[in-house]
Amino acid sequence: MKPLSLSWPTAILLTCGPAVSGEVNLTISPQVSYFPSHAEGTIEYGKSVELKLDAYHDFDAYRAELELIARADADDKGRRLVEARQAYLRRSFSNFDLYIGQRQTFWGKAESRNVVDVINQSDAAANQGSEAKLGAPSLSLDGYFDFGDLQLWYISRFRERTFNDGNGHPSSGLNVTTSLYERSEGKEADDIAARFSTFSGDWDFAVSGFQGTAREPLITPTQDSSALNATYMLQETIGFEAQFTGDPTLLKWESLHGTQSGAGFDAAVAGLEYTLYGAFGQVWDLGLIAEGQYDTRPQAAAEHFYSAGLRLVLNDAKDTSFLALMSQDQKQEQSLIAFEASRRLNDWSSLELRSQFYDAKKSGLAFSGIADDDVISLTINMFF
Amino acid sequence: MKFLPLILIAGLTGLSLPSTAAASPEKGLEIATELDKRDTGFKDSTSTMVMVLSDQHGQSTQRAIRNRTLEGSSEGDLSLVIFDSPGDVRGTAFLSHTKKAGSDDQWLFLPALKRVKRIASSNKAGPFMGSEFAYEDISSQEVEKYTYNYLRDEKVNGLDCFLVEYDPVDRKSGYSRQLVWIDKKEYRLQKIEFYDRKNSLLKTLSYADYNKFLGKYWRADTLSMENHQTGKKTQLQFSDWAFQTGMTEKDFQKNALKRIK
Repeated sequence: MKPLSLSWPTAILLTCGPAVSGEVNLTISPQVSYFPSHAEGTIEYGKSVELKLDAYHDFDAYRAELELIARADADDKGRRLVEARQAYLRRSFSNFDLYIGQRQTFWGKAESRNVVDVINQSDAAANQGSEAKLGAPSLSLDGYFDFGDLQLWYISRFRERTFNDGNGHPSSGLNVTTSLYERSEGKEADDIAARFSTFSGDWDFAVSGFQGTAREPLITPTQDSSALNATYMLQETIGFEAQFTGDPTLLKWESLHGTQSGAGFDAAVAGLEYTLYGAFGQVWDLGLIAEGQYDTRPQAAAEHFYSAGLRLVLNDAKDTSFLALMSQDQKQEQSLIAFEASRRLNDWSSLELRSQFYDAKKSGLAFSGIADDDVISLTINMFF
Repeated sequence: MKFLPLILIAGLTGLSLPSTAAASPEKGLEIATELDKRDTGFKDSTSTMVMVLSDQHGQSTQRAIRNRTLEGSSEGDLSLVIFDSPGDVRGTAFLSHTKKAGSDDQWLFLPALKRVKRIASSNKAGPFMGSEFAYEDISSQEVEKYTYNYLRDEKVNGLDCFLVEYDPVDRKSGYSRQLVWIDKKEYRLQKIEFYDRKNSLLKTLSYADYNKFLGKYWRADTLSMENHQTGKKTQLQFSDWAFQTGMTEKDFQKNALKRIK
């Protein structure tokens, strides 16, 4: 099975004439998961498959881009999804690009958490940490200047977070059934945001502003405790980002300051990454990661969280890599141990192993509800 | 200071230093400067590259890559590398702003996350995409990155060549020295021997299938790297060369990574 023969850039070229170009790619990712400490009535073995269609088409100063996700899960209805992560039309001008449609962007510098990454809602049910996101229906402008880059965003409506169902993992055993909004327009409320980023020498900086509905909801039980409510609050924030790219030490900072439901809050992540090249006498890279998280919002699992981890990259022909990360709160009452590994199988497929082990020393903590949600999952990504 | 004693030891054991009095750092620098001068003025270029990795058992695997280069004015060249295959790295792009002195500025675009990541460039000795080419082998070669010593004349590929020793200025280089054969007529690289930090022969790079563009700029279509210590080989096969395509610095800024296809 040759992957290159299955992408169709030439076919599109032929149908659209010489002034345009484009490509269509497909990724199919079957996944099996095992939940070793699952509570009774919840899923023990998870089976799912995700299809991703990537396509773009360039014509004159325009680009049409589509990134479509379809996810099926055997038992967890919360994970089933059809989503246009990106479906936009872009018009390029000499010093700026204008986008209209569903779009994704990334703001932030840190590894363990990105508090300033406020544009896109998280596709939390994808169970890929913060990596999977939903598209933002928006009108946005990216401007490029000698002194830095400017992004302006108008997001026309709100996207609700995805959640695993009560029988899935991680979940507290109840379904999130109702979304509540502080803003009267609810799901129809719009957001505005802007970010300026620049770099000088070894330093990168960014400052951003956001006014709209918070992406992260407060999860509370319904009155009869049979389900959960997700409450989305009004948020007005300023974000700061900095990175020092040293040799071989990287220092990272991001922080978010402002109000949520009128109450002031601060959230920050400070991190350090040190890479040891040629580790163990091999061509391996060993990265040491340490990050501290701070968040005074009620949604936060704890005010202080600390993460430390190791990343081992073998730099082999199969791109083999491992990541081990341990996080815990300042009282050492709740913790998460994560282990990830990935390796290319051949030109058209790769293998990913992910595992997460939660622990909570007492009830009433954020992790108490998910202490039974340890997971080991195996994904094969096939690229066509 | 570390590699000075190494070279001294090499000299004592007769491994590297020529016994003749003809060796000349001045002539070495002159040759390297002339090589650089002859390649000045191409403005920009694009090409596609197939990288074939073969292990000691003869098993091979391929990567497809597109290259874009913009000639630097005051600093070094700007280069952009876009990965088309294997599938798991498709759409990943690597941007490098070469510096004549100090560390290069480098960014990586991760398409799944839409994230442009500034990365440390200190891993110059590390393998590029699991191949036998190190990052420093594929990055733009600036005169200031080495000190030179012309050793003698030798024939390679049937061509009269200068043999020049290149000593990397940067201590983070994976090499103690490189022996570089440059043909006298056209000043093209013909062969490079890379010596590791212990001054053992590590790799040999051979250039073949040179073509001339715009009447003066030579590009080799085949680069073959052999690692003598592991028995692994990597071959780069270039094609679709284009010059003076009209790219500007704007096409090599970090924000351009997000728009690349």
